[in-house]
Amino acid sequence: MHSFFFSLTIRRHTGSGIRLLMPTATRPLLALILLVVGATQINHALANDEMLGRELFLEADKRNSGYVDFEVKLRMTLRTSRGATTTRDLRIRQLEVPADGDMIMVIFDTPASIRGTSLLSHSHKDSTDDQWLLLPALKRVKKIASRNKSGPFVGSEFSFEDLSAQEVDKYIYRYLEQQQFGGQACHVIERRPLDEYSGYTKEIYWLDETELRVQKVEYFDRRDRPVKVLTIFDYQLYQEKFWKPGRMHMQNLNTQKSTDLEWQDYRFAQGFTAQRDFSVASLRRAR
Amino acid sequence: MSQAYDVPVRVMQARRFILSWVLTVTMMLVASVSHADDLVFGSFRSSQNANNWAQKLSHLFNQPLVVKPFVRDDVSWYRVQTENFSDTQVQAVARRADAAGIQHWRIYANASPASVVDSLVDKQTASSTAAVKPSSSVIRPGRGATPTPRLSPPSRVTPLPAEDAQDKAEYTKADQTPPRQPRQSDFDWQVGLQTRVFNQRGVQQQGRYEASVSLQFEYYTAWDDDRQSVTITPFLRKDSADSHRTQADFRELFYSRVGDNWDLHIGARRIFWGVTEFHHLIDVINQTDLVENIDTEDKLGQPMVHLSLIRDWGIVDVYALAGFRERTFPGPDGRLRLPLRIVQDSTYASAAEDKRIDMAIRWSHHMGPIEVGVHHFSGTSREPMFLPLLDTQGNLYLSPHYTVIDQTGIDAQAFVGEWVFKLEGFSRSGFGDRYAAVNLGVERTLVGVFGSRADLGLVAEYMYDERGEGAFNTLFENDIALGGRFAFNDFADTQALLGVIIDTRNDEYMMSLEASRRLGDNWFVSLEGRLFNGGESVSRASSTAQLLLDPDFKSSWLQRDDFFQLELTRFF
Repeated sequence: MHSFFFSLTIRRHTGSGIRLLMPTATRPLLALILLVVGATQINHALANDEMLGRELFLEADKRNSGYVDFEVKLRMTLRTSRGATTTRDLRIRQLEVPADGDMIMVIFDTPASIRGTSLLSHSHKDSTDDQWLLLPALKRVKKIASRNKSGPFVGSEFSFEDLSAQEVDKYIYRYLEQQQFGGQACHVIERRPLDEYSGYTKEIYWLDETELRVQKVEYFDRRDRPVKVLTIFDYQLYQEKFWKPGRMHMQNLNTQKSTDLEWQDYRFAQGFTAQRDFSVASLRRAR
Repeated sequence: MSQAYDVPVRVMQARRFILSWVLTVTMMLVASVSHADDLVFGSFRSSQNANNWAQKLSHLFNQPLVVKPFVRDDVSWYRVQTENFSDTQVQAVARRADAAGIQHWRIYANASPASVVDSLVDKQTASSTAAVKPSSSVIRPGRGATPTPRLSPPSRVTPLPAEDAQDKAEYTKADQTPPRQPRQSDFDWQVGLQTRVFNQRGVQQQGRYEASVSLQFEYYTAWDDDRQSVTITPFLRKDSADSHRTQADFRELFYSRVGDNWDLHIGARRIFWGVTEFHHLIDVINQTDLVENIDTEDKLGQPMVHLSLIRDWGIVDVYALAGFRERTFPGPDGRLRLPLRIVQDSTYASAAEDKRIDMAIRWSHHMGPIEVGVHHFSGTSREPMFLPLLDTQGNLYLSPHYTVIDQTGIDAQAFVGEWVFKLEGFSRSGFGDRYAAVNLGVERTLVGVFGSRADLGLVAEYMYDERGEGAFNTLFENDIALGGRFAFNDFADTQALLGVIIDTRNDEYMMSLEASRRLGDNWFVSLEGRLFNGGESVSRASSTAQLLLDPDFKSSWLQRDDFFQLELTRFF
């Protein structure tokens, strides 16, 4: 689990991205420039689509960088196809690590039967993420195999992967089209994970053109069939800089089960440090 | 001709040599007298805000930033900046700040202090309590402006060549930050109702049914910005059949203090060491609460002073363990017990008896896909030996004897693709000759088995003790364990672990099932079953000595104790 879902930040990248503060009118211009640049390539149209998709993700990533740290409360509502619901309350702490991926601590508050369970994740830019789970009954810290990333997260429709690091370099991109979604002009970009253990062949992202916030994602399973649709609502600006989602809705297309996430009470600049708040030792005492 | 050619070459070489030395010496001199540039991360009216921001950035950059006061137009300001850093440090900090998108300005080493002050204070915002936004005409060139070359420092602050410096001043956030959320004290409690059903009466004609109720409280309170806390977790059980199973214990009762890279805990705690699933070989800090469960996963709280040092190269845990806890054993009317009565008149190898201070140290670290821990424990063994004694009526009974051991061991895990390889092992002295024991394990998780959302974890482990069948204090001296763990990944967290442990030398095997799920938000139900088979039955043992010493009778005392246990827990 990781920043992407818990904060919906697309991950930082150190390389310099072309600044694409794109009013709609300038985008074709840029595409034209890219087209000229790529004209010598054999498959230039495809190469341009790849570059454009990637650049947009890089820019979105960049805009979500620099938050330093925050804590947020999350209410997770799991809904069966018949409408029965169950809720979980958790807190998420996140720390930005400029030289590497982010660190995340997830602490469960309710239901009482899973209270005390907590999860620590260190994402890495160019290697597999590390994740540990605290089993409170035994006070045992257990490392989770990254192979399990496509599995559901605490019974929800979100997988570990959905909630985990979204390093720009771990995917390949293709710009598809411009489209209206939710009353906003959006870029539609296809993203294919390079990780062989991903549960998806591809994901299709809708990023609004003004702020490059994720508005919608369609997930395709290993057989390339659509399995899940995520919709994101109620973005709010924090720290005058960071757009954070208020609500997310993940719908499973096969089972009709769904999961809602409600994000409340973002608190930035909590003074977290890697060693005090995000080490394996701190997982043993996470509250 | 050759001479004419040679001379100028030699002269040139000599000149180059001298020049290079002059350059080197000059550079060294320059380096030793001048300090590097400073980086500024904003100025504040409030010293507290400046300090907060400095502290935050110091953590982020892993370099100490300072807060420097200055006065401008009779108003005090506090500037967050680096001081006396080397060039390398400055570059590293600048790189990190760039990566994190944090705005900063460079004060060149020979800039005059007055000009620095001038350029950093914006007159328009100087009266507000917010951070000072640098005057953009001075600080930030327009897009496309050529940054001042690094090697010809101007007399005023010059921006770093940042292509797209954010317009929103980063440092204002320190002023808007709400205080860290204070944690309330927590009080939780749970009640467990448990019943055990055995498939036949015990060797000593103990009953087939057993019921018990348990109560666990947990109180936690923190203060000092969560840096200090107290945790109290008392546990009580009342059992219908076995008076020894009726007990009370402080599972936890400790005070914690958390530093920037260390934790200190004083009081009774539970510490787990190890990586394998079936047999917890190296887990040596806490005494086993055997009356709770024979799987040795229930432990008594161990009083200790525990210091954790958290470093880049791993975590070092140092434990001073005071107040030895005796192992709990089922009473005469209890099940899953040795055929002879155990009388708790324990003896100790240490002259200090149960007052000995035991010491342990462990280093652990994770490096990519590998996790490793190395430990040493020196103290009274948590596992007893049993001395057969006669009471005044001439009846044989067993008296626990706790020897002093030195145990050096390792635990490691490697994650390779879909596989996890596990190792636990130690070399231990104190039980006769020094001996070694090892657990090796492999685990593979199949995600989404049978097209469902369930995961199946397949586990195989091998347990070895070099003393072989003569290993009197363990059941696992050359055994193989196989298991499957189903995680259904449903709302109720339904899980099931099915396992079998097989002795490779004889026909003994032990099967176990552990399954659990939640019922609604506040109830939890668990089912546990164990079958003991293939061993010689205790009724066939011809003598007490055979029971105690013959490896074929090692599990004989359990052969009639197959059982199922159902427990319902309510959380409050």
